[in-house]
Formats: sequence, structure tokens, C-alpha cells
Amino acid sequence: MRLRFSLNGQAMDLADMDGSQSLLSLLRGLGFTGSKEGCGVGECGACTVLLDGLSVDSCLLPAAKAQGRAVRTVEGLAQGESLHPLQEAFLEAGAVQCGYCTPGMLMSATALLERHPRPGDAEITEALEGNLCRCTGYQDIIEAVRLAAAKPERKP
Amino acid sequence: MSLPSQVGLSLARRGGLERVTGACLFGVDLAQPGDLHLFALRAGSGPARIQRLDLAAARAYPGVVAVFTAADIPGINRVGIIAKVKDQPILAEGQTRYPGDAVALIAAESLTAARAAARLARLELEPLPAVSDPRQALLPGAPKVGEAGNLLWEARVRKGDPDGALARAAVVVTNTYTTSKAEHAAIEPEGGRAWWQDGLVVVRASTQNPHHDRHDLARLLGLPEEGVRVIQAETGGGFGGKLDLGLQGFLALAAWHLKRPVVMTYTREESLAATAKRHGLVMEYTSAADEQGRLLLCQAEIFGDSGVYASYGPAVCVRAAVHASGPYRVPHVEAHSRLVYTNNAWCGAMRGFGVPQVALAHEGQMDELAQRLGLDPLEMRIINALRPGDETATGQRLGRSAGLVQCLEALRPHYGQWRREAARSEGQYLRGVGLGAMFYGIGNTAMSNPASARLEMDAEGRLCLFTGAAELGQGSDTVLCQIAAETLGWPAQDVRLVRGDTARTLNAGATSASRQTFISGNAVQLAAQGLRGLLLEQAAALLGAPPQDIALDHGGARAAGKGLPLADLLRGLQERGVVVQAVGDYDPPTTPLDPASGQGVPYPTYAFAAQAALVEVDADSGLTRVPQVAAAHDVGRAMNPRAVEAQIKGGVVMGLGYALMEEYTPRCSNLHQYHIPTIADAPRIVPIIVESDDEAGPFGAKGVGEPALIPTAPAVAGGLAQALGRRLFDQPFSLERIMAALMEGRKTERQKDEAGS
Ligand code: FES
Ligand code: FES
Repeated sequence: MRLRFSLNGQAMDLADMDGSQSLLSLLRGLGFTGSKEGCGVGECGACTVLLDGLSVDSCLLPAAKAQGRAVRTVEGLAQGESLHPLQEAFLEAGAVQCGYCTPGMLMSATALLERHPRPGDAEITEALEGNLCRCTGYQDIIEAVRLAAAKPERKP
Repeated sequence: MSLPSQVGLSLARRGGLERVTGACLFGVDLAQPGDLHLFALRAGSGPARIQRLDLAAARAYPGVVAVFTAADIPGINRVGIIAKVKDQPILAEGQTRYPGDAVALIAAESLTAARAAARLARLELEPLPAVSDPRQALLPGAPKVGEAGNLLWEARVRKGDPDGALARAAVVVTNTYTTSKAEHAAIEPEGGRAWWQDGLVVVRASTQNPHHDRHDLARLLGLPEEGVRVIQAETGGGFGGKLDLGLQGFLALAAWHLKRPVVMTYTREESLAATAKRHGLVMEYTSAADEQGRLLLCQAEIFGDSGVYASYGPAVCVRAAVHASGPYRVPHVEAHSRLVYTNNAWCGAMRGFGVPQVALAHEGQMDELAQRLGLDPLEMRIINALRPGDETATGQRLGRSAGLVQCLEALRPHYGQWRREAARSEGQYLRGVGLGAMFYGIGNTAMSNPASARLEMDAEGRLCLFTGAAELGQGSDTVLCQIAAETLGWPAQDVRLVRGDTARTLNAGATSASRQTFISGNAVQLAAQGLRGLLLEQAAALLGAPPQDIALDHGGARAAGKGLPLADLLRGLQERGVVVQAVGDYDPPTTPLDPASGQGVPYPTYAFAAQAALVEVDADSGLTRVPQVAAAHDVGRAMNPRAVEAQIKGGVVMGLGYALMEEYTPRCSNLHQYHIPTIADAPRIVPIIVESDDEAGPFGAKGVGEPALIPTAPAVAGGLAQALGRRLFDQPFSLERIMAALMEGRKTERQKDEAGS
């Protein structure tokens, strides 16, 4: 099928795509390997991307569902050299260890902060509950989201 | 201007930037257009004899380039980390031992084609008698799983006069503890790429041990070690699960045959079904103390299932025996530990190597003894804690770096406050506070386990560290550069790093056993001292001052009012044809253990730790939360305090998962059946760093990777015992087990009421 969608703000027009493959495998096939697979069944959140601003497990979503919609991945968070406040905060708070869960965490947190610019701890926990991390124990990730929320808003 | 000390500085993690932008390529991210994709056909059942394996249809499937079986392995089809028991074929030979065994490897133009071809393979298996109970595996006539019999390994530690001690004891407690098999569940599954380049097989994969991989791959392919190059890909967590060689073997075999780039990634299902687990152990303990609460005796009979392969089993077996009596002064010890082959999923190294298991037992015993004596569990531990100068169960005399008492004291305020809160708890929520303490020998047990490192400085004074030490997310890259920088007087941020590449770096051994900070750290420090020596020698010649009077750092050298810019110093060396580089080699001093008594010096030093956990059980639903954990760790010296705290926090949550939920069974096909803690399970953790300045550690540092997790489950067990009024002896303390304990408690109360009325 022909698949047209926006990827990190760029218009994509792909001919002859297998629309039944997962969005994750489509993205990774296009070289956007920032989105990771950790389970393939919607349990770990390593594959989290934003679809029209909502966080979704891209391993479960057929690529065809991206038709005409806006997909955002970790590769689209920074603007040139300037990091997204969440990316900065993850580095500052030491929320990155092996870093494999990080892209998914960042995308879930982005969706949260776009909805709730000043989330409480309960909202942070709820937003990240679908993202597993085996390294950090989560505390520094919560701290990073708090820190990002406290940063002055980024000018688009 | 000289640099402030960089020891104790929380420098940012190396490699952070590419991890937040998504640019970091992990082992699973290496596929390039044109690569062949590998897929392993697994037996799906076993033990069984392979009656027929017809691969004609698979080979004929469009896109399939080759299908390999054991017959295609040119070298020795046995891998394994322990030289004496390399027992694992990467492709089955005539029989399968368990369902996870691979029987064929398919290489195809796409993964879809490889998988489709696998479905066309005709595999006929004739079941063989199986043994799944490790006790039965030792009986005469049991199906033989191990090639040399079913007893894989046995270790003993014997000290003092255990029988006599029992007779003199004021209190004796005997209990049996059991633990589950656990899965590492690093969020990155195994993955990598291999290719053929300049007559070499090059493998780039997630791994914890690139140099050992090269050794076993060369053996597998019948090549000299120089014929194989292993590069550690950025690795998304390991925890012991990426120490074994499975995937790398498939990659190397296919690349060697096909001379084309190949990629392979395990699915989560495959990772669960076909890789190592933590050993489940059965631990029968008898412990005794005198009226003052001083421990007299620890008797431990430890028995475990290794599954179909040995992997790190011997190391786990010995370590469990050596650590059986815990971080305490125990004059009389008798520990006996055995691991047995069965047809179950195989077990290997997982964060702690047997110590998380025995810690559940020795800490349970401490609590029970304290209760019998009417002592507070914290006081009981302080009375018995190993202190500097004390002797361990193997007769090793500790140096000054034994900070358990400080760890326990550091917990006191939290422990006291939570105890008071718990005592006031009423109604639906039952609360308890538990303690866990541990010691952990740094490095491999009672054997040489060296590391080397090399430092090089170019004409511009740029420093580059070459280390074989695999970084898994724990922060060794950052810490090793810090050690190099501090020793030389250079800023750590300016140190460049080449890591984990057998063609460019020297062997640093495995990233396991919490050994890299201490062992590679020492090697790096020695290399830096060597390099510094070269620079000082040159400076001495140019300045006309003895080396010891010269101040040297990245700015240059100074002595007696004269200064020499670094550039001049380096130019001088260059003119003399001196390559500004140095190698450091370090092998920790250990001695073999006496086979009968286990006496000896198994480790250069020990990490110590104690944690307290507040546990809360909903009396109606049995739902259990651990809202708070305080974790005090004697790390010798925190090179990078934030990295140490990060290890502690991550370890506590992994330990919490071990305590409450983690249990692998063959039914656990993915992470919806094998649960690990989510953010909602995570407690508030107070990490506390205790420093004791180890004599032999680099700048006094020891290690923290595994110790971080070990005390958590015992602390949760103690908290639960208090909340429930009865101890659970079988880990994990799952909802079902907690519910059963609650029911039991109600029954007892009812009976009491009835008896009273
Ligand atoms: S890979 Fe999509 S949720 Fe795990
Ligand atoms: S940092 Fe390793 S999984 Fe989160």
C-alpha cells in the first residue's frame, strides 16, 4: 500500500509498503532505530512513539494506522543541536543507565507534559507505568520528569 | 593551575547524549540493507532424540541462503564460561536436552523468509526420559543429563567445631528456604551483527565479555583466536544474562561460512526460552547463638538445579558456600553446596551469583535468632557484624575496609522511625520493617582473574584509554576514565575511550562479579602511573630536577620555579622516538580454596551493605507495597557518587522484584507472564554511601553492582514476617503466598479466640 504520514514533522510518502507490519518495524526499517523493541507485545514500552500526540506502543500498531497522521519518535525531540527539556533533564537527573528504555520513556513523558505541563507524582507514575526499565529503579526518571516540568517552556 | 580532585566527583555518564537522542546503536540496531537475517529453529521439546531433521523444503524456500546444523560447525561445538565444563552445543547433535535447544540455523534475505522457512523444516523427535527434580537427578538410574554425570559441582566450607558449638548454644533455629529461578530481563534482548573482513570473522554484539567470546568463537570455528574479532556493541543491560555465548556463536558461524554480513536478534520469547536463569536453591540452615546473641554456628546445606547446562554454575555453587554464613563473625561454620543437572531451563550468572539466595537464608536466620533471644534485629546484626581485622568463614583476615557496622548504624534513623510508624499501624494495613545485610567478595572466586588496560597520549596531549571492560549501563566507562584522569592529573572529560574491541583493547575479563571498578580500575591506575612516569622522566631531564620534585598535570610540568608546557614535553618524547603509552596489568591476590575445608583467600576484598525496608500489606487483598527502602553500602570509596547511587537504586528495585514477583517457569513466554517491577512498584529509596577506603582498591574503591540488589529481598522478607506475624520461607513472596499466610493467621486467631471463650 501507499502510506502517507508525517514523521517528526516531515511528510513521508512511501509506495509499496506492507501496511500489516507493525509501525515499529516500519520505522526501524526506515532507519529510525531510536524506537526499540523489548517485548513486541505491548508490555515494555520501549517502542513508544506519539501518534497525533498520544503515546502508543508502536509494536502493536499496524503501520497502516499511521495513514494521514502525525508520528513522532525520539529522533524528533531535539531541534537541531538544542535538546528537548526532557532530554536535558534525563541527562541532568542521571535517568539514563543502559539507555535502552530511554527513547520510550522520553516519548511517554513528552505526551504527559504536553497534556499536563505541571504533573504531580501520581500523574508521572501513571504516564510511565507502561514503560519498563531494568536499570534505574525509576526514581531518577521521575526526578527527570519533575525537572523538565520545572524548566521554562521551550519556544517552538 | 592544578585540577581539583576528580575522585568523588559525580561526572555525567559517558554516552548519555546519544542515548537521549536515539542515535545510540545497540546490539539489536545494527542491521544494514543487504544483510542476511538469522533465525534459529528450536526444538520446542526435549529431551529427545532427533529421529529426522529434513531441511530440504526450508533450504528451497525463496530468500533462504543457507541452513546450518551441528554438522556445519568446523571446530568444537561446546561453549561455556568455565573451562572445565564447556558443555553447551550451540546446535544440537543428535539429541535435544530441553525445548530451548537450537537444532538448525537459517540464513535468509529477510527475517520473514527465515521464519517461514523454519516452519517448513521437518523435525521428528523421539522423547527421551527426562528428569526435572534435582534430587531425583542424583539417584542411581536417573537419566543422564550432564556428560560426566548429573552432579555438576560441589563445594564445602568448614571452620571450627560445628558439632561442639551446637551443644553449647543457647538458641538454635533450623529452617529451609527456597528461591525461584529468575530471569535477567534486560530490556534489550540479545542482538548483534557479524561479517567477514580481511580474513577475520568480526562479531559485534551485546555482550558482557568480549574477550571470552572471542576465545569460545575461535574454538567453535576451529580458528586461532586472532581469526576472530569481537566488538562489544552498546549493550542495553546485562545483569549476567549476556555473559553466555549463544547468539554470538550463530552470528560467527554464518558469517564464516557465507562471508556476508549477517544480523540476528532474539525476540523476548526466545530470550526467555533459550538463555540462562538465576539458580533456584533449596537451603537448609541451622544457626545457633549464645545468650548474648553472639553467633556460634552456621550450618548450611545448599542444593540447586543447574538445568541442562553448566554455564556459571560452578562459580555460583562455590560463591554460595563461601557466603553462606553471611557478613558475620561465625566461629563454627559448615556449608555444603551442590548443583545438579536436570532437563530444566539452564541457569547461569545473574547479579549476585548465588549470594542473593543465601542472603535470604542467613538473614532469615538472624531475624529468627533475634526473636528467640528477644533482641532487636538491628542490634543482633551489629553485635555480629564482621569488622576490620575479623576472620571470615574461609579464614580470610579482613583489612580495614569492612564497613558493615557503619552501614547498619546509618540505617538506624530510618529503621527507628519506620518501626514506630509500623507499630502504630492498625486496621486494614499491616506494616513491618525488615533488615537485610550482606557481604560480597569482589571478583571471581579463588582464581586468577586479571584485567589489563592501556593508555596512550598523542602529540597534542590527548589521552585515550583502551579497555576491554564491557559497559552495560552501570557506568564503568565513566569511572575508568575518571581513574585514569585522576591518576595523571588530566580532566576526565578530555579522556577519549576505546572500549570492548578484541582487536584494539586488552583483555579485561568479564563485566561480572562487581569486578571492573576494582580490577580494571587498578589496571587503569597502573597504566596511568606508567604514563605519568614517562612524562615525569622527560620533564626531569628537561627541567634538571628529580622526578619527585616535579608537579605535572595536563598543563605541563613545573619544578623549582621553572615551567614546561605539555607540548614541549611531548615533543621531547617524540624526538626521542618514545611512544607515549603504558599498559597496566592487575590480577587480584587470591588463593585457591582447600577442597575439603574451603579455607583460603577467595577475594581481594569484600563489599558490605545493609538495607531496611518498610513493607505494607493490605490485610483484605494481600496486596503488598514497599513504600520505602534505605540502602547503605560500603563501596570503599565512591569514585562517582551519583553512579554509585544509581546502581543502588536500580539494584533495590530489581531486588524488590525478586522478593515479590519474579519466578521463571517455562510458561513465562513474555513479559506479561514474567513480571518485573514497574514505576508503580518502585519505593522511595534513600541511598547511603559508606566509605572505608580499601587498601588495594583504586583510590580506595571496591564495587557495588551486585551488592545493590542482595540485601533487598531479605529486608522485604523481614518486613513481611513482621507485618504478617509469620515468616515466608519460599521466595518470591507472591500474592498467593501472602494470602495463604494471612488466612493462616486468621485461622490461628480464631482458634485462639475459641480457646479463650
Ligand atoms: S516492544 Fe512494544 S511494548 Fe515492548
Ligand atoms: S536504563 Fe536500562 S532499561 Fe532503563
